[in-house]
Order: sequence, then structure tokens, then C-alpha cells
Amino acid sequence: MLELTAIVAEVRHPTAHYRVIGFHAPAIAEPVRAGQFVNVLLRPGPLLRRPFSVYSAVGGVVEIIYRPVGEGTALLADLKEGDRVSLLGPLGRPFEFDPDWDSVALVSGGLGVAPMLLAARDARDAGLRVTWVHGARTVTELSPESAGDRSVIATDDGSAGHHGSAVAAVPDGVGGVLACGPNRMLAAVAARWPDAQVAVETYMGCGTGVCLGCAVPLRAGGYDRACKEGPVYRAADVDWEALPSHLHYAAGA
Amino acid sequence: MSVDMAVDVGELNLRGPVVAASGTFGYGTEVPLLERRALGAIVSKGIFLRPRIGNPPPRIVETPSGMLNAIGLQGPGVEALIRDYCPQWAAWDFPVLVNINGESAVEYGELAARLDGVPGVAGFEINVSCPNVEQGGMYFGNDPRAAAEVTAAVRRRTRLPIWVKLTPMVSDIAVIARACESAGADGLSAVNTFVGMSIDLHTYRPRLAFRTGGLSGPAIRPMAVHLAHQAARAVRIPVIGVGGIVSADDALEFLVAGCSAVQVGTATFADPRAIARVHDGIAAHLEARGLSSLAELPRYLPRD
Repeated sequence: MLELTAIVAEVRHPTAHYRVIGFHAPAIAEPVRAGQFVNVLLRPGPLLRRPFSVYSAVGGVVEIIYRPVGEGTALLADLKEGDRVSLLGPLGRPFEFDPDWDSVALVSGGLGVAPMLLAARDARDAGLRVTWVHGARTVTELSPESAGDRSVIATDDGSAGHHGSAVAAVPDGVGGVLACGPNRMLAAVAARWPDAQVAVETYMGCGTGVCLGCAVPLRAGGYDRACKEGPVYRAADVDWEALPSHLHYAAGA
Repeated sequence: MSVDMAVDVGELNLRGPVVAASGTFGYGTEVPLLERRALGAIVSKGIFLRPRIGNPPPRIVETPSGMLNAIGLQGPGVEALIRDYCPQWAAWDFPVLVNINGESAVEYGELAARLDGVPGVAGFEINVSCPNVEQGGMYFGNDPRAAAEVTAAVRRRTRLPIWVKLTPMVSDIAVIARACESAGADGLSAVNTFVGMSIDLHTYRPRLAFRTGGLSGPAIRPMAVHLAHQAARAVRIPVIGVGGIVSADDALEFLVAGCSAVQVGTATFADPRAIARVHDGIAAHLEARGLSSLAELPRYLPRD
């Protein structure tokens, strides 16, 4: 894990709903794997860093995807090429690819698309066929970018693709399932595929394992840390009833 | 840098005045980018005799210039501490104090007895100020008789240095400070978090599952400086100032206000190098003022 000053390399607005910002950070871009995150310090800005899944890592540039919904993301939106921020990363435990799989479904809801481009890359590197399944409330909230051998879209209001949830739209016969999205959606993933790997979202203090703020309740009892043992969990291991589903800054949660 | 930053806090000789505050540095073993050269000491995450799972989430929420936490003293219990962490501490060249907690004075005493003599344990910080547990915690810290009883119970079981971490949630911190001093404390950490609450306007419920939490960060600093100053004026034992320190200037305020050392806590969450930055900044300040040691820093500590 590194702490480094990174220069903003690019800013993109792929749709009105999503923004992408890239930081020149080869020391993080090289080792990062899907599901891991960076903790971004904004100065001037809020006291604590803000955690973001790494969206892509190409050419030494670490990209994150976000919606401007709170104080931290509003400041992110103000950053321009050449600005500097402090990044801490790569943090957390990544998705793991079972050698017995021949294919994998990447299931995302809304901003849960955040780790999935990297997941598609890592899956291809592992020789897997990739089914990309992405859902949102409505067509304008769908992520603009996808990857994989097959793409399935779902919207809650039926304005594009399958009418219903991303979880319901996943075809049968996929090998592994990796999912990210609102915690409510991940609970549905756990019900259908107990062995799925899910990346959860929690409030986070330090991102490095010392503050114990990002507690994830476990079915086996007790809590562990989203930033250290997570954010990727076996779906059935999380006590979804006790994991807050509503984060005030979370999109679509 | 030629400035002598060493400081004696009671019998503990620290290489510098900046100490890692309990709960913000874990057990010191998995801190990223640990810069030992700048560490005066570490105070461990609070420990109980038995393991505790802590409070349900959400446990933290950011507030203006601060954060509320209600972790609930999650921890592995004293036996796991002795097995997993103390052997590592024993190899370090700076002291580790264990932040001890209990639901009764007897439990505090038993913890001290169990840890006394364990290699790696250099002293204790008695936590009589945690706002996030149902039993004990802050209750002991806002009653001078209870605070003294806990301090005395620990004093009877160890000769190692004892600091008592005071709560700000009192009407007169001097009374508590003197009670702890009389009961045998070697130092006072002033202060722990302030009790606070934040409401989520989406759910119309408290943001923290525990309802309330402890407020830390720059938001509390002027209040913490005042309380540390009041405590320092009330006692002869050293006071370790804590509350919202982010920069060297922040730390210097506590030192000038009468503190022998300081603790840096929440700042480490955003900047893992905060302690080294504060340490180096204090040295630079002293050097710029032509002072050759921390001991020469002018203090504002009128005695009544």
C-alpha cells in the first residue's frame, strides 16, 4: 500500500449521470486488481479521505467513477487536469477467480459498475468468458461503458433491456458470479448465489484497518473491516439484515 | 535537525512529544508507513479482559471539521493481546502503553495485573472516558470518586506508569484531575471525545446505530486545549494534550498551554504520516525560534 501525490490526468463525463476522473499513479495502477480501492484526500476538503473502487488502470492512470452527490464528490468534480491529490492504495482484498470456472458473470447495479471494468480485464486474464450484467433504475442511469463477451442490460422501470433487476437478468449457467451495487441488491445476490463474491460499500474512516469504522456484520457473528478483510466478501458470509443499506452519499442505495 | 525533542513524561522517557492516540493506531502492528523515528509512544487500541465485538454499523460519520465514532471498543481481549501483539512491541525502541477498560474498578485492576511484567508493555492508559459502551466507560470519568477508585485499583496492581484518559463531559475537569492524581496516576491524557449526535434526514434517524458517538478532530481542538490547560493547572503530574491536533502548530498550542506531550489521533486517518509531520514541524518551530530543546519552549501555565 502506498501514499502518493497523483496528478489528474483526465476528466471524462461519459453521461450526465456519471463522471470519471483519472490520476497518473503508475505505482498503484500496476499492482491494482479488481475490487480494490483507493482512498482520495481532497485539500481543501473534508477531514477524511473518500474511498473509490478502481474503475480502470491503463497506461499508469488509475480511474475512478462517481456521481457528484456529496461534499467530497463535488470537490472531485471541480478537479482539472494537472491538479494534485493524495492517493492511498491499492487497498482491500480483490475479487478472486476460481480456476474451476470457465465463465463469470459480472453483475452491477448503478454505481456498482465501479469495479467491473477491471474485473472484466482480470477475468479475461484468467481465461474466462465474461457475461456483463448491468442494471439501473432507468435508462439514463445506465453506465455508458461495458466489457465482456456478452452484455445484458436491465432497468427497474423497463426503459431499456430487461424490465427488472440486474440479479433477475443474469442468465443461467454462468460459472462464477461477482457483484457490486446497493447492499439491498447484494442481499438478493446472496440469496441466489451464496458463493458469489460481492464488493460491499460502507462508511469508512481510515481505509487502512486501524479505525474499525467500516464494520461489516458477519453471519458467523461479529464484524470485520471492509477496508482490510473486504471489501470483497463471499455473499453468504455477510449478515445483510445488519448491514446498513442506506448510505446518505450512495447513489441508488 | 539539532533540536532536542526528548521529553520525560513521569518516568517514561520519550524521544519526542508526539504520541499515537488510542483507537487511531490499532496495536501499532499494521499501521501503514509507520515512521518510528518520530513516535514518542503508542497508546494501544482500548482493551478489555474479554473479547468484544463492538457496536453495529454505521459506526462513524463525518461532521464539520470532525467525525463521530461509536466503535464500541471492539477488541480481541487481553489474552490475544498478550499472545499476538506484546511480543512485537517488546522489540520496538519506543514505549507502548495499553489503553485498559473495564466494567468495574476490579476489572481494571485485573487487566493491569495480567499485563504487568509482560514484555512490551511499558505502561497503562486508563480509559474512564469512552462514550460508546453501555457499561463503565465514561461513567467512571465524570465522578471523581469513581475515577479515583479505578485509578487506585490499577495502582495497587502495577508499578508501571499510569496515565488516566479524562473525559471532557464534566463540569470541572480540575476536580477529576486532582482525584486521579491523588489516587496514584502518573499522567493525565486530556481529553477524550465529546459526546455528539448527527441525524440522517433521509431516514429521520440518528446516523450512528449507537445513536450517539464521540466527536474528534479539529472541531474540538479549542475546547480540548482549554480543558488540557485546566487539568495542567490543577495537578503536578504531566498532562498529555489530545484533541483535534492536525498540524505542528496545533500541537504547540497544547504544549504551550501546559502539556508535557501530545497525542495525535483522528488526523492519522487522513494522513498516515501525521505523527511524523507534527513531530518534524515542532522541531522546525523550535529551531526557527532559536530554541535548542523542547524543554525551552515557553509555557503559559499560571498557578492559582
